[in-house]
Amino acid sequence: MLWARTPYARAMETPIEQPLEFDHRHHTRDEGIDCRYCHNTVDKSSFASIPPTQLCLNCHSQVWNKSPLLEPVRKSFIDNKPLVWNRVYKVPEFVYFNHSIHVGKGVGCVTCHGRVDQMAAVEKQTPLTMGWCLECHRNPEKNLRPVSEVTNMTWHAEGDAEESGRVLAEKNDVHTRTSCTTCHR
Amino acid sequence: MSSHDQDPPQDHPEDHARSTSPRQGEGASASPRRISLPIVDEALAATETASGAVREQRKYWRSIAEKEGSPKLAAAALREFPPGASELPEVSRRSFMKLFGGGAAAAGLAACHPSDEQAIPFVRRPEEVTPGNALHFATAYGVEGYGRGLLVESHEGRPTKIEGNPDHHDSLGATIRYEQALLQGLYDNDRAKQLKHKDEPLSWNTFLGQMATLAGRHAADGGAKLRFLTDPTASPLQLELRKRILEKFPKAKFTSYSSIAGDGAADGLRLAYGKYVEARHELTRAAVIVSLDADFLGEGPESVRAMRQFASGRLPGAPMNRLYVVEPALTVTGMSADHRLRLRAGDVAGFALALAAELGRRPGFAQLAGIASGGHGVTAGDPKWISAVASDLIKHRGQSLLMAGRRQSAAVHAVVAALNAALDNVGTTVTYATPLLADPLSGPKALAPLAEEIAAGQVDTLVITAYNPAYTAPADLKFDKLLARVPNTIYCAAYEDETAAVCSYIVPAAHQLESWGDARATDGTISIVQPLIAPLWGGHTDIEILSAFLGEGDLGAYEVLRRSWAAKQATVPGATGEFDQVWEKWVGDGVIVGTETTPEAALTLDGAAIQQGLGALLAAGPKGGGVEIAFVPDYKVLDGRFANSAWLQELPDPVHKITWDNAALLSPAMAKSLGVEVERDNDTFSVLVIEYKDRRVHAPALIAPGHADDSITLALGYGRTGSESVADGVGFNAGLLRGSDAPWFDRGAQVSLATGMHLFGLTQNHWSMENREPAIATSLADFENPRSEARELIEERRAALPTIHEPHDYSKEQYKWGMAIDLGKCTGCSTCIVACQSENNIPTVGRDQVVRGREMQWLRVDRYYSGELEDPEVIVQPLACVHCETAPCEYVCPVNATVHSDEGLNEMVYNRCVGTRYCSNNCPYKVRRFNFLDFTSETPAVRRLGMNPEVTVRSRGVMEKCTYCVQRIERKRIETRVAGRLIEDGELKTACQQSCPAGAIEFGNLNDLKSRVTKAQGDERRYDLLHELGTRPRTAYLARVRNLNPELAKG
Repeated sequence: MLWARTPYARAMETPIEQPLEFDHRHHTRDEGIDCRYCHNTVDKSSFASIPPTQLCLNCHSQVWNKSPLLEPVRKSFIDNKPLVWNRVYKVPEFVYFNHSIHVGKGVGCVTCHGRVDQMAAVEKQTPLTMGWCLECHRNPEKNLRPVSEVTNMTWHAEGDAEESGRVLAEKNDVHTRTSCTTCHR
Repeated sequence: MSSHDQDPPQDHPEDHARSTSPRQGEGASASPRRISLPIVDEALAATETASGAVREQRKYWRSIAEKEGSPKLAAAALREFPPGASELPEVSRRSFMKLFGGGAAAAGLAACHPSDEQAIPFVRRPEEVTPGNALHFATAYGVEGYGRGLLVESHEGRPTKIEGNPDHHDSLGATIRYEQALLQGLYDNDRAKQLKHKDEPLSWNTFLGQMATLAGRHAADGGAKLRFLTDPTASPLQLELRKRILEKFPKAKFTSYSSIAGDGAADGLRLAYGKYVEARHELTRAAVIVSLDADFLGEGPESVRAMRQFASGRLPGAPMNRLYVVEPALTVTGMSADHRLRLRAGDVAGFALALAAELGRRPGFAQLAGIASGGHGVTAGDPKWISAVASDLIKHRGQSLLMAGRRQSAAVHAVVAALNAALDNVGTTVTYATPLLADPLSGPKALAPLAEEIAAGQVDTLVITAYNPAYTAPADLKFDKLLARVPNTIYCAAYEDETAAVCSYIVPAAHQLESWGDARATDGTISIVQPLIAPLWGGHTDIEILSAFLGEGDLGAYEVLRRSWAAKQATVPGATGEFDQVWEKWVGDGVIVGTETTPEAALTLDGAAIQQGLGALLAAGPKGGGVEIAFVPDYKVLDGRFANSAWLQELPDPVHKITWDNAALLSPAMAKSLGVEVERDNDTFSVLVIEYKDRRVHAPALIAPGHADDSITLALGYGRTGSESVADGVGFNAGLLRGSDAPWFDRGAQVSLATGMHLFGLTQNHWSMENREPAIATSLADFENPRSEARELIEERRAALPTIHEPHDYSKEQYKWGMAIDLGKCTGCSTCIVACQSENNIPTVGRDQVVRGREMQWLRVDRYYSGELEDPEVIVQPLACVHCETAPCEYVCPVNATVHSDEGLNEMVYNRCVGTRYCSNNCPYKVRRFNFLDFTSETPAVRRLGMNPEVTVRSRGVMEKCTYCVQRIERKRIETRVAGRLIEDGELKTACQQSCPAGAIEFGNLNDLKSRVTKAQGDERRYDLLHELGTRPRTAYLARVRNLNPELAKG
């Protein structure tokens, strides 16, 4: 049981290789692109969608449009065949996680996904066990931030995080739920 | 092998607690004891002597055995599940696979550990798609020529749930059983997939080429040997294509045909009004409704709206309508009747004439006396009953409505038209309009002329887009043999069925959810039919096949449809502007507003014509002695076209609770005289041989309380022999007895016992609540008297019970979910069950498993009889988990797999469940269902596309039950909380509530004092089921109030 909860067994901190050398560091840090430009359903849907090829080409039809690194992207668009990514974060089928409510109530991307802006290849940063989920659902305060800062990778509460979290919970109308059917249906 | 394979003795703790109760004779291995109907004998004797005796308190019974207290049934009731339910099935793996369509299954092992799973985004995401959020598209579906508006939920391009379109005249947001099951027809591995000519695969282009050649040949003689056989249709595009084809081939002919269309109405109204008209009914204005074998709540294109309208007049406090039903076998309409007269189908004409004669004797209705005299003394029915109905009709002149059923002859329809006219109902409760259907006649009689032409060799090419005529055609036409004689038969086939076997060209049909087209509602409102998904197996629509004869087959249905409407834009009122925008709105809304047709205002009834015409019509009707056989479209498979849907096959028949079968329904008295035997728990009956003319079938009997004597009712649509694997071997083909001269009923059948018995998968005795009186029905007079027994009963069943514990206070929660089910509105139509099955990924288990009591439907509709065996009153009661506040199931779960939420939901946590089944044992409502076997992992990949992605698919060894559609609650909760508001009343509906045609179910927040559910639960009729147990159920019931005619009220 203990072993099952080790970072190794949870496959944490292991960079996942992708078919394309996509670098989050470059896009978010160097170019300052907001997470939601690409993952643009995160505040509307349960699923923070992986961007369609067309979205990549919004920029890359103009910049680096001859780069050999981007050949798979162009090929995907021309052949109308999707890019196939390897999944990093996954909850089991009997868990119904919803991004929009978390983002809408001020849980930052970084809280669960870590410093993606520092990852060459994305790796899982959190265990995604039920205990880990419940930890926050029981005491969400220290993980709350203003909704405007959810995509900010470096935001920190000024002063006592729990105290500011309590104010934010009130302001954002946060009601975490721990009933089973909140996630299991 | 898991521990669930065996059925350990500790499985039924209840049994131990009752170790003194008799156990002998129980269990599947015990030799069946024959009950040669002493039950029926005694009951009949009792009813004869009981008149005058003091009536006991109303006692409900679900079957004859229960009424008479069969010791076996009492023993069975002690068990949680019927004998054998916990044993391993004998069903072979092959037949098990067949049920699920037999696809290879990939194991979906869920784990927190990141698998090698991949994430595949769109290349170009359509603008309207947000992955994870469902979209709804409007379309329409109809089987009897008219289309009912639907809204179909689509998850990333996969249709997953069918709902009604609230803006549609005939839907009002609700659906009917078949529509809920459309997804099963779409994702069906058995569908026809390959275009063929005499077993040779063909490409669509080659096919079009061959059709062009054929068309060219027929053009030479104006299409003299070209025939089209289509379903009845009111589709404007179909009508237009017909017209154009007939312009090109002036001598070609179209025939509309459906084996369940009744031609009596069209002919009867023509006799009455001199031309073909269609009747439209408006039940909200009717205070007295008389149904003459008209199952207007149970079937037909108007039924969904009729249920809503009828239900709106069933509330005490406001003027209530009163329903009289005259019919042979109990129907959904008959179950809702205030007064019901059982009469053979052939005697309904006599009743109509007797009613006309009775009214004719009253002042002001002399014209009816004349019409009735045309019947030459044909009469039927109890004079006292008829007189009471007549008085009631006169009292509600202009506010009454008479309806005749589809089976009834033109004579009955003409007399009913005369009655409606004399009672000033025309223009208020009934209006007549120019027919919308392409052909006014489309029943079995309409097929005869085509059959004659084929027999005479006058048909070279026959294009069939009608449903399976080789199977549905009257037996005497021998239509399958005739089809084989036509040189070119082109069949647009959903399945490779009986007709496909004798046709030369098989064109796989696109499912309605894969098709472009248009349709009309019964009031004429037009809907554009749009596809939800591209044809899974490259099917083609009837539009494309008809277009092929115009040389436009390669255009595609979309282009043909769009061009047609672009040209007609000016004819639609208010549709101005750019066509593209108008078109988008039409398609998006699902209805084209302003396209309804107005009823004819200036029609005069020709009484003399009816009087003269009646004699000949009645003479053609059934006469002489012998047993009457009467056919009905089946409530589940209709005419057979839905026979391959396991949801519908496993749905208990709304009245008789039969699954996976049809039966020869007969009255208890007739069963007695025939010597029908009953075995087991009143679910095994003798098989009958029914002979009629030169035809015979073997049919298992089923004793149906309330059936007319000397009459047998047979449901069509079973005994299929096509390639549909689910339908294969289910029931018998009653159509083999059907003749084109008397397609609906006739006398002169010979009935005798065959050897052998037949075991039905009846659900009526499953899930017993131990004779606690569950459903309350009372008369309006009793209800209005606060001191009546019924009122006391209701008061008692809603009062607070003393408790030791202070009940948990839910009033501080944002939401306190609750439900109210109005038994006064519920007709028992059972749409909710299929809706629930579709929404919650509930598996089907097959006939053998139903016999063992392993059916999985979370929602059941109990049907209780009360009163006399021969002529019972009926009440239906939908029942799913009632979400007790002090839930007995929760106390006994050793692993906390069923727990309570802060908002009062009784939650079922599948991953914790280890399958002890204690919870089900301790549930007094018997609403928990256990996955005895792995019913889901063999589901073929194509069917998985239709599953609701928001609900876990359960595996073996897990208990499940109604969740109040918690996935809908949570989705709506997140949606509203992100928007920063509360869920408003009415924006959240459970699947059963949304599908309910009658609007009998309310669901919502009990902490919102203005919500509909709070109001319903505060109603004077509200009571709690099994209230005395102190379970504090969140689902409350509203008692049914019957609006009895004081002249007929018994006792």
